[in-house]
Amino acid sequence: MAREHGAKRRPGGTGRVNIPGLSTMAALVGLWELAVRSATVELEFLPAPSGIAGAVATLVATGELFPPLLHTLRAALVGWVAAGALGIGLGVVLGLSRPAWRYSMASIEVVRAIPPVSLVPVALLLFGFSLRMELLVIVYAGAWTVLVSTVEGVRNLRPELADVGRMLRMSKATAVRKLVLPSAMPSIVVGLRLALSLSLVLAVVAEMVGNPRGLGNALIRAQQALQPEQTFAYVVTIGLLGVVLNAGLRRMSARALPALAAGRGELA
Amino acid sequence: MTVATDVREAAPPATPAAAARGPVVCHCRDLTVELGSSEGPRRVLEGITADLREGELVSILGRSGTGKTTLLRVLGGLVDPAPGSQVGFRGQPLDGPPEEAAFVFQDYTASLLPWRTVEKNVALGLEGKASKGEIRRRVADALETVGLAERARDYPWRLSGGMQQRVQLARGLAMDARVLLMDEPFGALDAMTKASLQDELQRVHQQRKPTIAFVTHDVDEAVYLSDRILVLGGSPATIVRDIPVELPRPRDQLATKELPQFHRLRRIVFDEIRAHHG
Repeated sequence: MAREHGAKRRPGGTGRVNIPGLSTMAALVGLWELAVRSATVELEFLPAPSGIAGAVATLVATGELFPPLLHTLRAALVGWVAAGALGIGLGVVLGLSRPAWRYSMASIEVVRAIPPVSLVPVALLLFGFSLRMELLVIVYAGAWTVLVSTVEGVRNLRPELADVGRMLRMSKATAVRKLVLPSAMPSIVVGLRLALSLSLVLAVVAEMVGNPRGLGNALIRAQQALQPEQTFAYVVTIGLLGVVLNAGLRRMSARALPALAAGRGELA
Repeated sequence: MTVATDVREAAPPATPAAAARGPVVCHCRDLTVELGSSEGPRRVLEGITADLREGELVSILGRSGTGKTTLLRVLGGLVDPAPGSQVGFRGQPLDGPPEEAAFVFQDYTASLLPWRTVEKNVALGLEGKASKGEIRRRVADALETVGLAERARDYPWRLSGGMQQRVQLARGLAMDARVLLMDEPFGALDAMTKASLQDELQRVHQQRKPTIAFVTHDVDEAVYLSDRILVLGGSPATIVRDIPVELPRPRDQLATKELPQFHRLRRIVFDEIRAHHG
């Protein structure tokens, strides 16, 4: 059985260290360092990677990094969870009910086409400089993604499984719980992953424009204070946060859906 | 015997000879079915009158596309017949899938829940209807019957096609379904697996005596397994012949298939199918 072997791999592929990948990264960073030191690239405010590393170390040592990091992390996660709940809930309703879909489809198509970033000034207008404003933007962006992928997953319920539900005389609620949601799960997980990346992006944007806290705000302040090392240090932190969040979600979904992860290969 | 009398009043037997056997489980009278197609409703079945009797194994045989599956789905309450048709279960007009009936679908992979283990798949029809201990006992019993006790904790996609189809059968058995509606259950399996599953089904039928409606397009399979064969033909399809199969039981893949009677029946069925194909 060929699958037996595949299933034993660690889910999510986080178990092994990718040596060639890491060495490419190290080489690129080395090249950058070299370019700045030899003054091949002449940009007044381009720091060397060693300088950025130093700035990160200082920010960690003084503890200055943590309040904005925790704020952004919390905002992104809270917003993402709310977006997920909203998107899955509405997605199931719209996926199951033809009339609900017919009545709301036009509005959804139009409103969804608005780039969420353009909502930042609107949210600022409504809620002022606040966490609420930040959350509104995050939830808005994430909920669409989850909603659309949930509708798709629910719609794609195989007719054979629907027949199984009918033959067993399942109630609508039972069928949703036992058949519809589990079979839509791979699609929902894809939406949740996209929403998580989006929620980090929008948290940072909202903080840059309208919330005087978080990594986005720290980044802007460092830039305005003409501190290139620190500016880059925050960029690196945001990048790492994105990697960690995504890896965490991969792990979680691989653990929650072992059957699907192994049965259908990698989850998206 | 009052119950049997009631049943007979509600559904007069299709043929006088049939009245001698067990009580009617499923019946249809003047059944017409229309299915939606791109050119509006298309009449698939017309004027079908048939009875399924307690403990009988009846094959529904015909070329592909004749409406065998549709007939089975009507009997199981998954498809509504056209107005004027009578379809009933134990003498009562049919209103949705009956409690005692279980389907075994052709596409076993699509009909099992890939996120559930074999035992959880088999338990699906019992959840909320029996205690935990009762469910465990009946699931174990059903898996034992189909020879899959050792694969209880595996996921269905880890099993071969034949084993997956056994899981579907076990799901019906665990529900203690008195009626099994099987839609070309062995159609996608290789010859060896098919033969062993036919014998498995025969054994289950002898042991538990469920009423079985078995859709197939395989003449040999129909003759080998059945007590009776309903041959569907024409367009819209109707029952062109109702053939009793009086081969001795238990049947054997080699000995039974060498009987002159087997060959004669096979011949009759083949001729019937050929005659009703334009």
